[in-house]
Amino acid sequence: MCGIAGIMYKDSDERFGLGKALIDMLDGCQHRGPDSTGFALYADIEKGRYGLRFFIGEGAESTASIARIQRTLAEQGATLVDEELIGENYRVEVEFDGDIQAFAYAMEHAAKLWSLGTSLDIVKDVGGAHDVDDRYDVRNHNGSHGIGHVRLATESDVKPEASHPFWATGFSDVAIVHNGQITNYWKMRRRLEAREFEFRTDNDSELIAVYLADKMAQGVPLKEALKTSIDDLDGTFSFLVSTKDEIGYAKDRLAAKPMVMYENDDLVAIASEEVSLNRLFPGQALDTTEPPPGTYGTWARSI
Amino acid sequence: MGAIDLSDVTVRRANELIREYGAGGEDVDILNPDARHHIGVGLTDDITVRIKGSAGYFCAGLTDGPRFEIESNVGWGLADNMYNGSVVVGGNASAIPGVAIRGAEVVIKGNMGSRAGQVMKDGTLACAGNANFMAGYMMYGGRIVILGKSGERVGEDMTGGTIYVGGEIQTLGTDAKLVDMADEERDSILEFLDRYELPFNGTFKKIVNAGERLRYATAEPRTRPIPFFNFSGASDYWNPKIQEDIYVKSQVGRYRIRGYGGARAVPHLSDIVFKKDISNAGGDPDVISRVAMATEIGGDLGAKPLTLSMPVMVSPMSFGALSRSTKIAVAKASAMSGISENTGEGGLMDAQREAADQLIFQCLSGRLGWNVHDMQRADALEIYISQGAKPGFGGQLMAKKVTKEIARIRGIPEGIDLRSPSRHPDVLGADDLVIKIEEFREATGYRIPVGLKLGAGRVTDDIKIALKDGFDFVELDGMQGSTGAGPADVMEHVGIPTIAAIQEALDALVDIGRAGEIQIVLMGGIKDGVDALKALALGADAVGMGTSVIIAGGCIACMQCHVGTCVVGIATQDPEHEKRYNIDREAENIHRFFEGVRWQLATLTAALGYDDVRKVSRDDLAALTPEAAEITRLPYMPELRARDSQLNDGVRIV
Repeated sequence: MCGIAGIMYKDSDERFGLGKALIDMLDGCQHRGPDSTGFALYADIEKGRYGLRFFIGEGAESTASIARIQRTLAEQGATLVDEELIGENYRVEVEFDGDIQAFAYAMEHAAKLWSLGTSLDIVKDVGGAHDVDDRYDVRNHNGSHGIGHVRLATESDVKPEASHPFWATGFSDVAIVHNGQITNYWKMRRRLEAREFEFRTDNDSELIAVYLADKMAQGVPLKEALKTSIDDLDGTFSFLVSTKDEIGYAKDRLAAKPMVMYENDDLVAIASEEVSLNRLFPGQALDTTEPPPGTYGTWARSI
Repeated sequence: MGAIDLSDVTVRRANELIREYGAGGEDVDILNPDARHHIGVGLTDDITVRIKGSAGYFCAGLTDGPRFEIESNVGWGLADNMYNGSVVVGGNASAIPGVAIRGAEVVIKGNMGSRAGQVMKDGTLACAGNANFMAGYMMYGGRIVILGKSGERVGEDMTGGTIYVGGEIQTLGTDAKLVDMADEERDSILEFLDRYELPFNGTFKKIVNAGERLRYATAEPRTRPIPFFNFSGASDYWNPKIQEDIYVKSQVGRYRIRGYGGARAVPHLSDIVFKKDISNAGGDPDVISRVAMATEIGGDLGAKPLTLSMPVMVSPMSFGALSRSTKIAVAKASAMSGISENTGEGGLMDAQREAADQLIFQCLSGRLGWNVHDMQRADALEIYISQGAKPGFGGQLMAKKVTKEIARIRGIPEGIDLRSPSRHPDVLGADDLVIKIEEFREATGYRIPVGLKLGAGRVTDDIKIALKDGFDFVELDGMQGSTGAGPADVMEHVGIPTIAAIQEALDALVDIGRAGEIQIVLMGGIKDGVDALKALALGADAVGMGTSVIIAGGCIACMQCHVGTCVVGIATQDPEHEKRYNIDREAENIHRFFEGVRWQLATLTAALGYDDVRKVSRDDLAALTPEAAEITRLPYMPELRARDSQLNDGVRIV
């Protein structure tokens, strides 16, 4: 029960005001979900490195988490090259060249791992877009593309870890934001668990992310994975998925959840409601389009 | 001509200003709209509103009379429920444009989103571009003109009205068919298009209802009424009712429809008892003056609350399910006893408005009888999501009761087996619901409370949504609640009991640290003041009574409400049958029943040692059965059973 938004800048040479754009778009549809807000922000870090963001809580809990994270990094053969403590988050950059999935699972057993990637950074917390920005300085995140989410908690708690976006646990640089409800969640999850994928939450959005990331890991293009998702997932959904180079969307066959998009020479933006798109272009009537029921699509960075 | 700049003022303020321009008969321009929601909602004046850009959800919603011109695009629910007037959209319209319109002319120059014209009753919805999925879904009347492609499943489950398609018909919906059209029809469409400067030279294909699903294929046979107390029988297995049920199903070949609530025994308030020995209660003739019980419902967020002389409401029951006379009698009785009456699904009658001091106006998925004028003269609004008797279903009204007058007030064709949609067209999640509530508040100037009617199913989740979405109160309806017509199997087996519903709701609010932040009106099988006080002690803020009110007014509980030939003139639209109902006499009877409830509340409260019904708490209660104890976590004290029967003998008014 939520609002979603995504934006991709076409010219990858520039550093753009990605964080500010997503804050504006999410603030524009905050009425759809006042409980929590989150951002998946993409900006390439130095080659050969991975960025990891953890939720570590406060006080003694956070100190213990950091110790556990550093120990596990060492055990996994990752070299810590940069670290930053922001609010209840701990962000590290590491050099690592082993098996990413095993590394990711080990790291998330050590602490709550928000995201892992060569450009992905997920920032999320309870409260509105501006609250999260105040705590984590989203505003000054520049980057090429990103997706975001405002959440109205229905079935699970209002906690930072229940906030979107969800990282596709175990897969580098894949994130998802989702509006709707997947009704064959357990069936799909058991299939994936039988193949030894791990899930951090009972949230249906995480399932979509893992489902798509698994396909992509098998060499299926994102667009093709989105197409099969419409057949394989039951329920109501409009979701956005992001990778290092692409943003994709899919919409259920009943068009139960809204989605509207706008494209010009500089950018592509997509959101639950046009009011979010208009936040980027105040005072302008936009030539928007609405994806029909049961459709999907992707945009890629012009690299 | 005035102008309002939405980069300077909120939509709420803008709508106030638009209404001021409307009152003065002055047109107005809206600048920098930036796709904001609810622009122009609730306007009932004959002016032109020009929106210089894109508008968001429910633009021109709940209006009667004005002309809207929107330069660019619009969001969901364009012209929702609009009576007279017109809307012209220069760009595209998102999902469900023209939802529930009742006479308006809605013109979209671009494309339109899915489910265009859902549950529309009258008027014209025209689209120069392509339509999307399920245009005309469940429409009851009026016409839709699509110059481009029809979209998939056009005319899905339409009941009445006509769809004309100029372009390709992609696929026809269920129970829709193509028919030939007369030249006059074409002329009338071209005249309409001409007025809105939409040139068209092609040919139209005409789609109407195929008439295969308007009525059940076989009617329920007439059976001899089996009285309610025999209904569940001595045995759950082979009692006379079960036997009859099997006979009937072997004839009609489907589930059965009947009136009343579930007859299956489930844990209920009768399985809960007051711990203290109150067998001597009832001696004080002035007890009512000594116990506080006046209750306000719906005022916590700033609306003008309902002020009830006791924490009791009349549960929602429709004109349609019940006769006009019954609705008037109930309204009168509610006024005499200082409590609220509720319209239910069927629209609001003048006589009912006049008779009731406080009236809740209910909005259902079919938007039957729903309109801005009645919203503005109601004392509270209520969005029906479901009811205890049949959670997940819309209302049902069998053809016999869909008379000319009922069809007119509801805006539907006469003589169909009316099955209202199970979902609201514009509410497919908690997120949409937020925007819907806001539309109601805009249409009524934020004056009156907006409540939620909720059948008890997944209460734990639903009550959190109700709170977060900003409702003023919730009517929580357990599975013992009744209905005028519903599938019997659903009534018996779907939903959770009333005591489980209240417990889940309270636990869920505690769970998220928001206990006491939303008022809960509990209903579903509450038959007297004893039940009512137990419900309050469990944590409800008030109770709703429906079946007991009808019985107080002469119902014989024959469970044939769906048939339409109620012998006492209550659940009927047949004037000959209705003649048997004496409004004033039954109003007095119902009023006396309410006063009995009041006396029971006061007497029991005083006997428990309190001077205010709100002071009675779960500490005063115990459970008589292990099931009730498990559900409510009250102490299991079967030894109090003897005391409970004394209470019933001594205190109840028969």
